[in-house]
Amino acid sequence: MPNRNKYLSIFYKEGREHLLSLQKGLLSLEKAPGDMVLLRELMRNAHTLKGSAKLVGLEEISAIGHRMEDLFEEIEKGRKGVDDKVIDLLLKGADAISRLIEAFSNNEDLPFDVPLFLQAFDQGEIPPQIVAEKQQPEPVADETVRTNVKILDSLINRLGELIINKKRFESNLLRLNECLAGDAEYLPELQQFRQDMEEDVLYLAYLVQELHDDALALRMLPLHTITDGFERMVRDLSREHGKMIEFTVTGAQIEMDRVLLEAVKPMILHILRNCVDHGIETLEERLVEGKKPKGTIKIAARLEEGGVNIVIRDDGRGIDPALVRKTAVNKGLLTQEDAAAMEDKGVIDLIMEEGFSTRDFITDTSGRGIGMSVVKKNLERLKGRLTIRSEVGRYTEMSLHLPLTLSMMEALLILCNGEYLALPLTYVQESLKIRAEDIITAAGKEVISLRGSSIPLVSLAALLGLPEPGKFFPDEKLTVVVLKQGGQSLACAVDATLESSAIVVKSLGNQLKNVHFVFGATILGNGDPALILNVPDLFAAAEVGITAGFAARLGKTEGKTSQTRILVVDDSITTRTMERSILMAHGYSVDIAISGEDALEKVAHADYDLVISDVMMPGITGFELTRRLRALDRYRDVPVIIVSSLATDADKREAMDAGAQAYIVKGSFDQGNLLTTVEAFVG
Amino acid sequence: MTKKNGTDEIRAILEEMREEYWQGLAEVEEVREEEQEFITVTLGGETFAFETGYASEVIRVPKLVKIPRVQELLTGVFNLRGEITAAIDIRPLLGLPQLPLTPLSRIVVVKAAPFVTGIIAEKVEGVRPLPMNAIEPAVTSLDEKQREYIRGQLHVDGMLIMMLDMAKLLQAPDIVVNNHV
Repeated sequence: MPNRNKYLSIFYKEGREHLLSLQKGLLSLEKAPGDMVLLRELMRNAHTLKGSAKLVGLEEISAIGHRMEDLFEEIEKGRKGVDDKVIDLLLKGADAISRLIEAFSNNEDLPFDVPLFLQAFDQGEIPPQIVAEKQQPEPVADETVRTNVKILDSLINRLGELIINKKRFESNLLRLNECLAGDAEYLPELQQFRQDMEEDVLYLAYLVQELHDDALALRMLPLHTITDGFERMVRDLSREHGKMIEFTVTGAQIEMDRVLLEAVKPMILHILRNCVDHGIETLEERLVEGKKPKGTIKIAARLEEGGVNIVIRDDGRGIDPALVRKTAVNKGLLTQEDAAAMEDKGVIDLIMEEGFSTRDFITDTSGRGIGMSVVKKNLERLKGRLTIRSEVGRYTEMSLHLPLTLSMMEALLILCNGEYLALPLTYVQESLKIRAEDIITAAGKEVISLRGSSIPLVSLAALLGLPEPGKFFPDEKLTVVVLKQGGQSLACAVDATLESSAIVVKSLGNQLKNVHFVFGATILGNGDPALILNVPDLFAAAEVGITAGFAARLGKTEGKTSQTRILVVDDSITTRTMERSILMAHGYSVDIAISGEDALEKVAHADYDLVISDVMMPGITGFELTRRLRALDRYRDVPVIIVSSLATDADKREAMDAGAQAYIVKGSFDQGNLLTTVEAFVG
Repeated sequence: MTKKNGTDEIRAILEEMREEYWQGLAEVEEVREEEQEFITVTLGGETFAFETGYASEVIRVPKLVKIPRVQELLTGVFNLRGEITAAIDIRPLLGLPQLPLTPLSRIVVVKAAPFVTGIIAEKVEGVRPLPMNAIEPAVTSLDEKQREYIRGQLHVDGMLIMMLDMAKLLQAPDIVVNNHV
């Protein structure tokens, strides 16, 4: 029966549309119960669903549609009022149909017992077990023209090619100008032709640019395409928790790249769930606190700093820094003193840290915590960032800052080993030229000093595994791009830096997925591709210790050799790279560990003469590490130097109590200081 | 009763007609199979062929941009009318020497199901029909790796043509990158 299949797929499509307007309309009806126009429209939706379903032989759907239509009719005749219960019932009806449609269209079994559902519907309440394993339909409102994404992308591609073609015209025109400039005797006609052509090319350039902008705008969708579904979710969830919540969205008309919208949706959902679950207090609690019984959750989107800022704010209990501290200490993630020394702001940020937000952490006591590290990480992948503000008993505010699109970005073009590469400008701190003497020489590692701080220096070509540029003369200046990520910096030596401009971002397609070091590609004015580098990967690779080797090429001699082995433990790449460089420059053999746990792993397999450790790290602290080292036979007497930004006397005391031999405050940390201390112990 | 016999008769006739129809179709298929057109290319100095259906176009070798730290046979990416497309050198996959590219070298753009990719060839000889019924097993001197992507060989006009199993080749894990995050 091919015809039935054809009609079925038409019905599924039509059915989904009716369900969407039902789901959306019911929520509006709840707010405006007297809206008869809306009511009749909803009735029509139910009626059509009923009729069409019967036509294609889907009796179950038809029956539910029928019940819904009847209920609407009763409301219309004034026999039933519009209250929470009725709206809820109707929404559940719509849900039920939606699930049936999904099940039928996927050739799956009925997801729940339909006759039982109908019975319960008639009684006016659907017990959850009847529709158990409830799934959230996420309606997406659509007031725009539907078009095939492929066509859209190919349109943009072709326009990109047109821009390149335009650029060729422009350079040809320049050539023509040069030809004519030398000789005034050329025919006036030719001069006139040149001028006309110049005007045409100018106009063409203008048109092409406008067209390209328009085409890019086609990829943009308003934020409400995702937020429309949230209202329903918040409503259902707050009911489940017996809470009253008013949910509002502002700025939903702001348009973003559809790819970004899809990516950001689960993050917002996650945060909203946290708001309902943990942020907003129960009715009783709110009354005791003297708050309005109805809690509020607001999503407010604003255009800011060339991107969009999505703020999700609830007026619930807030995040209590004292509780975060306590839980962290209880979990052994921080010591009492570490926790006490941290500012409240920093404490709140702890909930975004990996390891802090594991399964059972802080769910009930302090409010948030589950999966915020995941949100943060995913956001960073989209070149966004997450900030949290909160005040106990008043509010929690999560701000997601995102670019509007990933299809265009500001980038710095550089030349590396003869190849053009693009670096996203958000990661570029500055570019500068350095001389050999600016490089602090170290065995295998080099750092440069920039405004008082030391930055590891690497060769970009070496990081990328490209052949190294030949030689580097001592009197030659080296071009360096300083990249930043989080609080860390990395200096990359390149052949040259070229202009920075807005580039079109293209993916490498299905054949090359998640390629290390590459975020995507763009197409240069001459039509050749240029890779856009993924800066976080560069930082990760630099950490593994690919060396620039400029010092070696300069023929500088390395320091004294010694068998002294030192373990440097620090979660900051900048700090540990610096420490390592300084120590290696003076002939020590240095290994690094990125956490206390990592350090314990390393000491199990090697004998170090000295351990240098940070205090605040993911996992166990430097203090705890010291204590555990002291408990090991082989490490009972190995000197431990604590390097920390914590400067209070209490911290120093704790370090000593734990068994550390020395304490260096990071603020006062310089080459001499560290070396003298190290030499004092191992000579 | 006669009525029933009548319908049976009609049914039998229809069955026969259907049979004839299918046979006719099959014959057409076979003929088409024999006359199928192949694109012939030079790889490692030898001639290889695959069905023209896979190839969407043949282009001069454009500027290929190397991708850092990926397998060697992914030679680089190029701009195919605005789509970033990978160019692959399948010669190592077939155990063939990577002879240097010349001005005669070309890229054959082929369509695999999930992506479009460019196969680098020392030379594209042309498009010709090949008698598929004359195909014989590939010589045993080939090693296992080579034979994996070769369906057999043909002697045509005193020339040896190796038949590539393009479907299999396009599914080779060696030609894709997917580093899970």
